[in-house]
Amino acid sequence: MKKLNPKERRNLMIGLSFLLPNLVGFLLFTLGPVAFSFGASFTNWDLTGIEPLQYIGIDNFANMFSDSQFWLYFVNTLYFLIGLPLAIFGSLGAALLLHQKVKGQVVYRTLLYLPSVTSGVAVMILWKALYNPDWGAVNQILESVARAFGHPEFRGPSWLLSTQNALALGVEKVGVVPNQWGIGAREALIFMGLWGAIGGGNTLLYLAALGNVPQELTEAAEMDGASRFRIFRNVTWPQLAPTTFFIIVMGFIGGLQGGFEQARVMTLGGPAGTTTTLAYYIYNKAFVEYQMGYACAVSLVLFGLIFAVTLVNWKFGNKEVSY
Amino acid sequence: MAAENMRGAKGRSFWTHVVLISLSLFALAPFAWMVLASLKPLSEVESVNPVPTEWRWDNYAKVFEQVPFARYYFNSVFVAAWVTVLVVLTSAMAGYAFARLRWPGRDLLFRAYLGTMMIPGLVTMIPNYSLMVNMKLLDSFQGLVIPAAFSAFGTFMLRQFMMSVHPALDEAAEIDGARPWQIFWDIVMPLCKPGLATLAIFTFMGSYGSFFWPLIMVKSEHLRTLPIGMLFFDTVYGRQTNLLMAASVMNVIPLVALFVAGQKFFVRGILLGGVKG
Amino acid sequence: MRTFFSATFAVLLLLCVVAWKIQPPPPGGSRTTLTWSTDNNPTRQEQVALFNKLNPDLYLMIDPNNTDQQKVIVQAIGGVGPDVFDTFGQASLEAYVRAGVAWDITEAMTEAGIEIPKIIWPVAVPSCVYKERYYGFPCNVNANAMWFNKDIFDKAGVPYPKPGWSWDDLIRIAKQLTVKGRDGKIQQFGLYFGWTNWGDRNDLLYQFGARIFNDDGTRCEIGSPEAIEAMQLSQDLMYKHRVTPSPIDEAALSTQGGWGSGGITYLMGGRVAMAYGGRWWLNLIRKEKPDLNLGVVEMPYAKVPSLAGGARCALVNRNSPKREAALRFIKYLASPEYNQLLNDQADALAPVMASAYTERFLHNPEWPKEDYNEVWREVVRKARPDELSPFLRGGEMSAISTQFDLIKSNLKAPAAALRDAERAGNDRILRNARLRPALNKLYLELTGSKP
Repeated sequence: MKKLNPKERRNLMIGLSFLLPNLVGFLLFTLGPVAFSFGASFTNWDLTGIEPLQYIGIDNFANMFSDSQFWLYFVNTLYFLIGLPLAIFGSLGAALLLHQKVKGQVVYRTLLYLPSVTSGVAVMILWKALYNPDWGAVNQILESVARAFGHPEFRGPSWLLSTQNALALGVEKVGVVPNQWGIGAREALIFMGLWGAIGGGNTLLYLAALGNVPQELTEAAEMDGASRFRIFRNVTWPQLAPTTFFIIVMGFIGGLQGGFEQARVMTLGGPAGTTTTLAYYIYNKAFVEYQMGYACAVSLVLFGLIFAVTLVNWKFGNKEVSY
Repeated sequence: MAAENMRGAKGRSFWTHVVLISLSLFALAPFAWMVLASLKPLSEVESVNPVPTEWRWDNYAKVFEQVPFARYYFNSVFVAAWVTVLVVLTSAMAGYAFARLRWPGRDLLFRAYLGTMMIPGLVTMIPNYSLMVNMKLLDSFQGLVIPAAFSAFGTFMLRQFMMSVHPALDEAAEIDGARPWQIFWDIVMPLCKPGLATLAIFTFMGSYGSFFWPLIMVKSEHLRTLPIGMLFFDTVYGRQTNLLMAASVMNVIPLVALFVAGQKFFVRGILLGGVKG
Repeated sequence: MRTFFSATFAVLLLLCVVAWKIQPPPPGGSRTTLTWSTDNNPTRQEQVALFNKLNPDLYLMIDPNNTDQQKVIVQAIGGVGPDVFDTFGQASLEAYVRAGVAWDITEAMTEAGIEIPKIIWPVAVPSCVYKERYYGFPCNVNANAMWFNKDIFDKAGVPYPKPGWSWDDLIRIAKQLTVKGRDGKIQQFGLYFGWTNWGDRNDLLYQFGARIFNDDGTRCEIGSPEAIEAMQLSQDLMYKHRVTPSPIDEAALSTQGGWGSGGITYLMGGRVAMAYGGRWWLNLIRKEKPDLNLGVVEMPYAKVPSLAGGARCALVNRNSPKREAALRFIKYLASPEYNQLLNDQADALAPVMASAYTERFLHNPEWPKEDYNEVWREVVRKARPDELSPFLRGGEMSAISTQFDLIKSNLKAPAAALRDAERAGNDRILRNARLRPALNKLYLELTGSKP
């Protein structure tokens, strides 16, 4: 290490004096724990002390990968990402609408933003009631629409109580089971997520990005007589690429570690584990069963996954952006 | 030609309004149901008619009778206020150190900060919990506040903000012999007010809605924050849908108020890279 | 800026003072406060009140929100644990002992002349005695029987079920008493059976002669033909005979409002004619629906007259600074005052066996309609503790119970589900025996071979 001259030392002291409170917290609650997690995932660490602490090599990882439950929850986690493209297109649409300089833009923007600002336990409890198969508002609306079209016998899906899903995934093994095709808890949560996402932060990001698209470009295209769709496709959309890229990366990062609140508040991970995501799985392993070592291992795998996906996005996205 | 264009534009604007209004209705309908259900007698919650035949305003009072809801409010605001002030202060100081001061190792450390922003909270949650157990801070306000009082994201955000504030001012002050602390408090901080406000509002709302950490930390009833209180209310009195909705309404109102009041900062925060929402 | 932050801090400190001021005061005043982690209900309050009356220098209070086993352990380690906590059976007792949280009270109890295994119901012994050491005393003991609503039977003109009835009888009666509404939805079910409840499920398994584990817990045997037969019956009750609510039916039933959950609510609300449950249901029934005319009969037994029973036992936190005071609560549980109170309250059955062999237990003059107490005594006497494997932790039973959920939701045939459950259970047992040193040794001792 190079020796510091007195001025550099003084600068270092000043810099550290500002940084210190944050740095202590950072080391104690972020960097330290990450290192600790890494070490703990190779032990049978159990906070209750029922088992003596022991180094067990890669057993936690071996168990995880050979456990069919882990893979089911892994697939569940991926399943919820289906909502991401829908949310992106939804918020882009909302932003395009708001971008037309309509009257009351601020009012619309505020109203559309409300679902995302209020997201949380209260709203999840609300949706749990809305999804009640018997008297929830969602099925009441569906059934009255069906009645209006002459199908009084129609019954809405069982939503949070049903294991059925749009991809007909089975509940036991990763795979397709035809009689599981339908609409169930997973769709219910995705739909709720869309409700919360469409007018939210992504819309604001798109709105700002749309404001930055050089007017000359669109005007020139209009002069050439290009259709509105073609202008969007060839001029606006490429200009939005960095924003889209940012939203996708953030969506993946958030989506992969998501699903905990929904599971804890609305479904307890059920029915038959179909709404248990990796985050909820980690919670259960760590804070219900207190198998901390194993939970640390799962959380590291999740971290690796997020890291990998972000790298891929970055590589793939950079190409998109730079043309 | 021009007239046709005008008419086209008008028609478009009409349809834009139609779509925007339906989108807004879609966004608001659940809230409307929530408010209406919160005013119904229990027997009517299941009825198809969304409007109560009998308006039960006392449902709201009943929530306070069944659970210490005022206490939940206080706890949430109390914890969120402490977290917000500490996060803003520690982030501003660190942001200043990263943005305005030059010292050896600065960029390396900053990269370490940036790198950890991608780590899922779950990874740090488990060791942090164990740390709290060993420090005997389980089930205490300190345990709720302290681990949340430092934010790599806040540091990052305020650093970016401070970078964008013109450096000529503090350079001039430095030449005049002002000490770094004076520059920080008297020049940089006042210039960063919008950034500080943005971080404050985000942190406050984040802490107000925070669920995971209080869920594992809190044991006593008198320490429950609103989300935990709501969960408890749902588990124990879950069948009283009308009261549950009344509680939800009361939970959501401060958020809506805060959002409407601080919308300007909110929008800025999101554009600065806030991931929430 | 400085002023702003200083002012904010001043306000925050003021808030701290407020937070400190509005902290609930110690409820017992100057008396030593003891915390008991247990579920809260009106009977528990009376039990606590009697203790506080008998011990004027102590003040016992209930913490109903932290009864999870692991939570209790971690909180005890973190220094915020309860003084007294509950355990439900051998597995949880063992976990508490191994975690160093349960206090060995053998000497204290022997000195006080309380020979725990001799005076309590046999089914409760594994919940408080481990390797011949005493760790606690049961609070109450429970086993289930069939409640039936006499009014519904009378209205339909169906004779009451009699002891010695068969499952065919039960299904026939239940069909007669299952009533559909005009919209085709079932309004009243013939039978409620607590499917989510591990104990209720075991009752059914045991009476078909099925086992969950072998004697030493080294093997899971849930895939046996007997178990399949039992689970087939339970699936048929829901989906073939349609006399018992399925999970979806229950979602519709449970929206009716009111307090309590599952079987009791349905029984009190007249939504089911028969419901399988315990004596403790009277807690609620006496209060909410005292006019209900109810009867109790033992469940039909398919092959063996056997059922599962359970006990809730109170243990003392070894790390508690007030453990000597807490010990007095354990002694209180053995006292005649407590046992009589509990039997009077009908909070299941009192822990001391002798307390049920009295005229007052059989015919409490305050509740003359309750002429079925002998049935409760009989089922508790017959009951045996839940089968467990020392090789599986509580949470790991989920590998098995997931399969039960599939049967319950009619997603899988019992034969296939139980075969998979058995395999999953055995995989877990072997894996744990291989990986965990203590279990590895135990496995070797029990089977004479390495896992």
